[in-house]
Amino acid sequence: MFSYSLAEPLVQMKDVQLTLGGRLILENITATIRDIRRPGMQQGQVVAFLGPSGVGKSQTFWILAGLSQPDKGEVLVGNPPAPVQGGQVGVVTQHYTLFEHRTVLGNLRVAAKQKGIPSDAARKQALELLRKFGLADRAGAWPKELSGGQRQRVAIAQQLLCSDIFLLMDEPFSGLDPVMKTRVCELINEIASMDEMRTLIVVTHDVRAALSIADHVWLIGRDRGPQGEVLSGAKIKEEIDLKERGIAWRENRESLPQYEETVREIEKRFLTL
Amino acid sequence: MYLVRPLMSGIPRNTPIIIGVWSSMFLVFWTFQAGGVIPNPLVVAQSFLSLFAGAKIIPDLVASLTLNVEATLISTGISLLISYLFVLPAFRPVSLLISKLRYLGLSGLTFLLGLIVSGHELKLGLLVFGMSTFFVTSMVSVISDISTDSWRHARSLRMSPWRATLEVVVFGTFDSALEILRQNSAVGWIMLTTVEILSQSEGGIGVVLRNANRGFRMDDIFAVQILILLIGLGQDALLGFLKRALCPYSTR
Repeated sequence: MFSYSLAEPLVQMKDVQLTLGGRLILENITATIRDIRRPGMQQGQVVAFLGPSGVGKSQTFWILAGLSQPDKGEVLVGNPPAPVQGGQVGVVTQHYTLFEHRTVLGNLRVAAKQKGIPSDAARKQALELLRKFGLADRAGAWPKELSGGQRQRVAIAQQLLCSDIFLLMDEPFSGLDPVMKTRVCELINEIASMDEMRTLIVVTHDVRAALSIADHVWLIGRDRGPQGEVLSGAKIKEEIDLKERGIAWRENRESLPQYEETVREIEKRFLTL
Repeated sequence: MYLVRPLMSGIPRNTPIIIGVWSSMFLVFWTFQAGGVIPNPLVVAQSFLSLFAGAKIIPDLVASLTLNVEATLISTGISLLISYLFVLPAFRPVSLLISKLRYLGLSGLTFLLGLIVSGHELKLGLLVFGMSTFFVTSMVSVISDISTDSWRHARSLRMSPWRATLEVVVFGTFDSALEILRQNSAVGWIMLTTVEILSQSEGGIGVVLRNANRGFRMDDIFAVQILILLIGLGQDALLGFLKRALCPYSTR
């Protein structure tokens, strides 16, 4: 087990409720992400919201990003806590949206400029990030010329240049083969360690991949009625602390027995979510 | 078997040969069908060359091309403005209304516009109106299809709603706008010959065609039609080149 302590809250979802077209989608979602301190090292936070398809994860995603407003409740970020604003939280969607009319470097530069970084510095930072992500030779490429993996890395780099410390990722493992999944997990861990306050929030239905990167997991699901029918209104059904279970931050955590046990536990739980 | 099997993607092999075969078949068919009102291809070719004898056709060509360029530039400016305004709720009905006006007939419109203007202005007005309604229709459709993800992506990069509109709507659809311009210039070119007849003092390729029609000079009529087709194809190729040069990122 690693020694750590939990400091101030970085992201707080408080009683978030959302109704769309008269149907309750999210019901009293409450979750708090705290700054993790580990002695002698820089440790960011990686958390995951796990849930089956169609449960309302994407709606949670946009509300966390500050780009969609809940009917009730609020999302507070930073210290001191303040309601989240669009642009404060970096957003990487599963389609890895980029500006198709800009080159890779152009996409990164516009993001840096939006944060108020002067033009020369923006170019420098963008090139440095491309080098770090192994994309230095793709600076002049158009988004349509990139592979899926390259596109994802550019989308992440773009958001890192513009956002503060928060990065939200929607289904980052969707459609990836096992090798690419491992690479994305490595990339996420690398980004998390860039800054003590860096906080990555992954929204996914991929249990194994989520447990391979996260230090904390929330399961989102819906209640069942008397006849087993699914009731509307997704809520937090369970919170799993992977630090306490000795899974978080471990090398080759996929080979740990507690990792396999937790995967089985969550997969079993998925059947009732 | 390759030639008659559905091609799922890419450009067919031996395209120039396929085009050559079809052209030859057409010429052979035309030659054997010639006689009576349909002139022989050779006679049409001679008439085509005679159009340029003494450069008599040049002033008419210049008049037509000038009118077409003028109408294209004005209609593109107006159409883009109306289309971009589609993102503002207050202007959305206006954009949709302009789009629906394409169902107004040219004859009725000529009468109405003729009450206000005449000559060059009448021709220009009709062309601009005709081209703009189709341009706005296509451009509004492109803007409507912009995904919520694209808007949210721009907003996630701290862009204000106006900055996001500039990036997503104006810059993001520039390649589509050029493609629509390309399609629309064909619409304009088709309308041009009809419109030119309304005011013949300025000349133009439509007037040349009208004069050939009056004299029932079938070889001249065919020759002018071929010239109209060739200029239209040239215009299309030029705009296609422009789009490829300015928008190498385009997937459309």
